[in-house]
Amino acid sequence: MSTELALWCVLAAPIAQALLVVVLSRPPGLRDAVYFLLACAGAGCTFYLVGAVAAGETARVVLARPLPNVDLAFSAEPLGALIAALVLGLGAPHAMHTIGMVRATRERAPARLMALCTLAAAAAVAVALSANLFSFFVAYQALILAAFPLVAHRGDEDSRRAAGIFLATLMASSIGLFLPAMVWTYAIAGALDFQPGGVFAGRVDPLTANVLLVLFVLGLATTAIPPMHRWLAAATAAPYPALVSIYALTILPAGGVGVLKIAAFVFGPALSDAAIAARALMVLAGVGMCMAALLALSKQDLRERLAYSCMAQSLAVVTGALLALPAGLFAATLQIVALSCAAVTLLMAVGTVAAVTGRVNGSDYAGLGRVMPVTFAGFALAAASMIGMPPFSGAWAKLWLITASAASGLVWAAALVGLAAVLTFAHLGPLAANALAAKAPSDAINRPDGASIVLAAPVVVTALATLWLLVLADPLASFLSPIWTPRP
Amino acid sequence: MFAAPLAGAALVVLTPMARLAWFVAATSAIVAAAFALDLTASTLSVGAANGVGLFATALVACCAAVVMVGAGALLKDWSARAAPFGLALGLCVGAGWTGALLAADFVGVFLAAETAWLAGVALVALSGERERGALNGALRMLGAGAVASALFLLGVGLIGAGAGTLRLAALPAVQITNPGVTATGMGLVLTALALKAGVAPLHSWAGAAFGRGSRFAVLVLGSVGAVGALATLVRVAAFAIPAPAIATGVAAALAALGAVSVVVGSLQAIGASNVRRLAAYAGAAQAGGVLISVALGSTAGFAAALVQMFALAAAAIILLGGSAALGGVQLLSAFDGLGRRAPLTSAAMTLGGLSLMGAPLTIGFLGRWRLIEAGVGAEWWWAAVAAIALSLAGVFYCGRLIERLYVRRAREAFVGGDPWRLALAPALVAGAGAITLGLAPDSLLRTAAMAAAQLWNGAP
Repeated sequence: MSTELALWCVLAAPIAQALLVVVLSRPPGLRDAVYFLLACAGAGCTFYLVGAVAAGETARVVLARPLPNVDLAFSAEPLGALIAALVLGLGAPHAMHTIGMVRATRERAPARLMALCTLAAAAAVAVALSANLFSFFVAYQALILAAFPLVAHRGDEDSRRAAGIFLATLMASSIGLFLPAMVWTYAIAGALDFQPGGVFAGRVDPLTANVLLVLFVLGLATTAIPPMHRWLAAATAAPYPALVSIYALTILPAGGVGVLKIAAFVFGPALSDAAIAARALMVLAGVGMCMAALLALSKQDLRERLAYSCMAQSLAVVTGALLALPAGLFAATLQIVALSCAAVTLLMAVGTVAAVTGRVNGSDYAGLGRVMPVTFAGFALAAASMIGMPPFSGAWAKLWLITASAASGLVWAAALVGLAAVLTFAHLGPLAANALAAKAPSDAINRPDGASIVLAAPVVVTALATLWLLVLADPLASFLSPIWTPRP
Repeated sequence: MFAAPLAGAALVVLTPMARLAWFVAATSAIVAAAFALDLTASTLSVGAANGVGLFATALVACCAAVVMVGAGALLKDWSARAAPFGLALGLCVGAGWTGALLAADFVGVFLAAETAWLAGVALVALSGERERGALNGALRMLGAGAVASALFLLGVGLIGAGAGTLRLAALPAVQITNPGVTATGMGLVLTALALKAGVAPLHSWAGAAFGRGSRFAVLVLGSVGAVGALATLVRVAAFAIPAPAIATGVAAALAALGAVSVVVGSLQAIGASNVRRLAAYAGAAQAGGVLISVALGSTAGFAAALVQMFALAAAAIILLGGSAALGGVQLLSAFDGLGRRAPLTSAAMTLGGLSLMGAPLTIGFLGRWRLIEAGVGAEWWWAAVAAIALSLAGVFYCGRLIERLYVRRAREAFVGGDPWRLALAPALVAGAGAITLGLAPDSLLRTAAMAAAQLWNGAP
């Protein structure tokens, strides 16, 4: 298989998966088999693509040319390939978990839920693999439009209102801030292609660079950067499989990769010209990170607690990307990986608990680890990763982030990252410990068969994925080095 | 182009059978569209001073043809006796605006525009056969039209006195002896045309006419009448702006009117609970964007205006054609859950909505992009802000429509089903056009750029 074909497959596999799930929605067994097998096929394609990119191959596909000098194009480069592999790789266990959830909760519209989760994944992959700002914007808009019905999936008045907030916040910021920044970039550079070293080098004055950076970063509201984070709490109205998709696999990672692409491929060294805006945004992200972790502590509903916890992790990505250092970019990339692995595990575990026991509040989790040991083992591992405890993914990401912040003389940024980690421990550590150590409740399980294998196994698989940076951090650094090493 | 629909209208009136009348009407509209396309292609490629007019003529003629084809499914709105008259009036609206776009002087523009406007009034009045409220709409149109005619004639008089000529093509080169009087006259003419194009806040007639008219009447008014009037306004401005003595005043007036129309139209569209009114107000907001583009006074600005007019026409046909195809469903609440029951119509309307939002890969995005680009190029930053505001407002009012189509559940029985019939043809054709030209816009952009560039060839 050529790299270009692999790229096509990666882009098309989730779309085909969504269509087939809808077309073959009955019988449910066939639907579920198609859903899971195609998720595995998509994951296989992305792993192949990562292998090809690691071997130095590149590929670019052009779908259309909607504007002069601007293609709707996607390319296989290290950052995009890695995030695509993350989204579709974690998408396979998420597919299995979704199958279990729709059965356990007797979901009314399972095919629609599955198809929308898959379309959101397709859009997130397209965001990651976009070859220029225009393609990024197209895929980003598609992602918002695909995720919006997920929030409204329940169909009641509350979820509709939440979906309205979700759509309005994300659309308004992308159209009101990101789009003008993109057009301005086009006016300055005459093209919108992502390229290592950036397109702004030597082309922008400091004032323009500062304004553009603010527009770009605030326009990417999917990072949940304050004050554009209202969508985050609204999205908790979504059912659990959709929550996993939104917080762990599509929306937050897409925001993270967007900021990374802007920092590395649009600004590059010109980011130093926007130092004032970068510092201001880092303060915003750093303070937002700590506030989000603090807010998470105040939430009893696990969906809300994890939403704010994910927000704190996502803002760490923004902090890393804006450091204007290769180490910062690497830390931000690791942070996206760590966030996705940990968040997908935690949210699937919480979904499993809700489906099996009906418990959604942290205060009701005491002792549940004794009756659902596999699920809570995964929960504990992922919580440790989210906190930043070694040897899990989150630890390496935070270590790099703190090191990079300190190296660039921003000790306060390193301190904020550390403080956020402590607050994350406060809202996740005692919860996991209480679930595992307290006395088991007598009436925990309200399903006769407990947690089925399709609900428990994915939690374990993704929890183990939080360990992979332990051995792969170094190869990953050399794999990602083209991001911050411009071609001569 | 001008004669085919008029001859068709005469034939249609004489045809006793409604179906046969529709066939004749559709054929003559298609013939006129074919001539218009041929004329535009052949004349633009060799150079012509009336580039904007030619581009817009093809657009208006094509809109009229698409609407006429779809009219076959809307004949039941009228009695057998009234149907041929309705079709003939629809043809007259198209022919009138085509004439205004090709007229050589202000008098020709006035006569052709009056023909089109009065045909539109009669078309809405004919809807009173079933819905008495339509007569109210027709009366409002008549009153607004009378005001517009008076303003137009007064303006023509002032232009004649100030510039010494009523020929459009002579305006950029003529020695204007009294710029103040000429600019005032031009302002009155443009105001009159803006009123007929439904530009806010001069669109007081639009609510009643769109809300009460028959499906065909509303489709013709929204996608042929309003687009034709707006195109005529752009064409007249295209001859006025290259005239140095009056350019600044005309541009300022158009910019102010455009900005007000963007704000007022968007706010009204956000508050609309009726899809036809929503289309009318959204059209007013989009027309504001067109006026701002024209006010930029550059080739890029006029090219942006032409692309936006195209997008506006496509969106109007999709929204009004979609509503017509669903049996004239008007209230937004009636669209709840239609995504499942009428998937094809809903998909077309979603496309129209996305285009109005300025979503990427639609023709609406292209128009918005061109406006921002032209605004930034001229350092009119507020024009770029207005374009963004248009899109943001579009997210609210079209997002609401799409949310109703796909997220909400139907509260009442829907008897229409998804009509794979002629009624859906306009919405589908326009939807396909919106997405195809959004994906591969080269030919449209090239044509618009040529049309706009040729305008300046005649300037001193």
